[in-house]
Parts: sequence; C-alpha cells; structure tokens
Amino acid sequence: MDADLRQHFDRAVTDDPGADPGEIALAAIAEGGRIRRRRRQLAGAGVAAGVVALLAVVGGVSLRSEPTGPAGPPMTVAAAMMPVAAPSCSEKPVESDASDVAIFLGTEATDPQRSAVGAALRGDPRVAELQFESREQAWERFRALWADSPDFVEAVSPSQLPESYRLRMVDPSQYRGFVTAYAAMDGVEQIVGRVCPVSAPIGGVQ
Amino acid sequence: MTDTVTTPRPVDGGAPAGWGAGRRRTKAARDEEFTAFVESAATRLRRSAYLMCRDWHLAQDLTQQTFAKMYASWDRIRTGTNPEGYSRRVLMNLVFDQQRRRSGSEVVLADLPDRPDGAAAGTPELRLALVDALATLSVEDRAVLVLRHAEDHSVDTVATILGVSGSVVKMRTARALARLRSLLGEDFVDG
Repeated sequence: MDADLRQHFDRAVTDDPGADPGEIALAAIAEGGRIRRRRRQLAGAGVAAGVVALLAVVGGVSLRSEPTGPAGPPMTVAAAMMPVAAPSCSEKPVESDASDVAIFLGTEATDPQRSAVGAALRGDPRVAELQFESREQAWERFRALWADSPDFVEAVSPSQLPESYRLRMVDPSQYRGFVTAYAAMDGVEQIVGRVCPVSAPIGGVQ
Repeated sequence: MTDTVTTPRPVDGGAPAGWGAGRRRTKAARDEEFTAFVESAATRLRRSAYLMCRDWHLAQDLTQQTFAKMYASWDRIRTGTNPEGYSRRVLMNLVFDQQRRRSGSEVVLADLPDRPDGAAAGTPELRLALVDALATLSVEDRAVLVLRHAEDHSVDTVATILGVSGSVVKMRTARALARLRSLLGEDFVDG
C-alpha cells in the first residue's frame, strides 16, 4: 500500500516545470551570504531575533545544532492526542505561572519510572492535588473525543496513548522550577501547563 | 548593497594576506560542498514544497529561501546535523509561517471538483485531485503525509524533523489518510 501511495505522490508532481539546482545554489549563496553579513552586523542586537528564532526552532527541538537561543515552542503530544484544554483554562500552554499541569509519560515509560514520578509528585509540597490517568482511561476519553472518526480511532491502539499525571499547583509562580525538575525525570515525555480557574478539572485538560 | 567586494587594505607583513587567502579557500570549499548538497536535495525539496502549497512558483521561492537560510548557517549545519533532515525542517517552518501569516486573508479553497467516474489513477484529474485534497488537510497533517509518503521517511525521521513524537506522526498519518480516502475514494489508498 505504501508503494502505491508513493506512486500517487510521484504522479502528483509530474508537471514539475523544473529548475536548475546550480542556479538555486548560486542564489542561495548570494542571499545566504547577505544573511550572514547582516547577522554579523547585528550580532547582539535584537533585530536578528527573527533569524535566530527560526534557527532556534530548527536546531533546538530535535537537531540540537543551535547552542544559543531558546528552544522553539515544542509541539506537544497533548496537542494531537487531546486537543481540548478544559474550556475554562487558557487554550495555549503557558511557559510560566501555570496553575494546572499535565505530565505525560512516554509510551515506553517503565513501571519503576512511573512509580518514581508518582512518588516524587505525592511528596512534592508544590502540588496541591494530584490525579493519574491510565492508558485505559486515556483510550476511553480518546474514543469518545473522536467518536465521529471511527477510521481514526481504529488506527490508534491504546498502547499509543500516554499515561499522565494531572495536578494543580499550590502556587503558580513555582511552575518554572517545577517543570525543570520533572522534565529531567526518566519516562517523562511532555509537560503541559495551563492557567485555569479553581472550577476547572485538575490538570486543565478534559 | 552591502554586497560589494571590498579590496583588502594593504597591511604590513604577510600574515594578514595569508589569513585572507585561508579565508577565501575556506569559502570556496564551503561553497563547493554547499552546491553539491543543493544539487542532491533541490528537486525533492521543491516537489515537497509544491505538495505543501500547490503552486510551483511559491514552491521554488520556498526552496530558495530554505537553501539561503541553510547557507547562512552552513558551517554549523554541516557538522553534527543531517542537512537533508534540516532542510525539511526549515522548509516546513517556512510553510507553517506562511500559513499563519495568510490564514487571516486566505481564500477558502474552492469546492473539490466532482471526481470523474472511472478516472484511472494517474489521469490529470486524479493527479490534480490529490494535490487539491492535500490542500484541505491541516498544514501539520499535510506535512506528515508529504514527509512520510511522498518522501518515504520513516516515522522516526518524520518525528525528528517535525519535533513531535512518533505516535503523533502515526496518528496524523492515519487521520490524514482517512481524510484523503474520504475525498478521493477507497481505491486511492488501496488501489
């Protein structure tokens, strides 16, 4: 089936008007050289932020080639698996001052890793309330969410859905330090923080 | 305009001249290496850009921008990264940016033309239909499909390029294929 699909895509580009790679390279060297010079001139100035930001996104997240600059906003497992933030919470995850947090474990996380994260959270004075969502619970919720797309549900097995800890912070201002500590733990894949009112479900996700 | 070649100011001693020659040699080597990379990667990259945006001119432009950005950081890119994967990531970021900038004013895509009955795979109708159907997907789903199925990258590679997990790639693929199938008919994927 993949081979057939590949053929479909190949056919879709058969009207390619063509372009000379040598010319592309020359133009890129000219324009890229301009970018280099501009960047050197502006080194340190915030004006280069556009270029630097792109490179940070490119290098920071996975290819790890840009040592400076902040990593780009990570695309989250949560964004695809569970696009619904609780309606009363901030729709976009926040970097700081989150009141509610979901910690997603990698699908490869082991039992000891899960227990270690759970134990750390239970003993953490920054955590006001804590819940755990198992793979089965995640699967139920996922099925309900995508009930109108049975094909899609069919294509996903429970083992692909992440387990997660959901929690409410005692003090949102502690969120940054909190993330740093837990992001380093084995088995943790993604941490998503949101700003929620007290009435929201714990963790800020439905 | 800052582009003009400046003639090196005459300086006492041979060291600066030697240093300048060294620099020129480095640039010549860099350009040669970069050109070889562009020649190996340009066609595939431009075609992927086309599948993302449905417009050969724009695809050419995006390709050009991608390579210019890569040249600007080539010394860093060539050591320790996979330039091929890097180019995909730069391209997709450009596409995502473009989409964001345009989304306010973007004209809603015209309705898909009715699929002509009995159109054989590979007829112009189906060829256009695939590109049109791709355009109805979210840009993220389209990116996954193009990298995964037009370029034949593994799930892991696509995940690395897009900075998401493998399961996200699998889910987006499944969702996107289901959508294509519903637009183009069952035999699109099975045939």
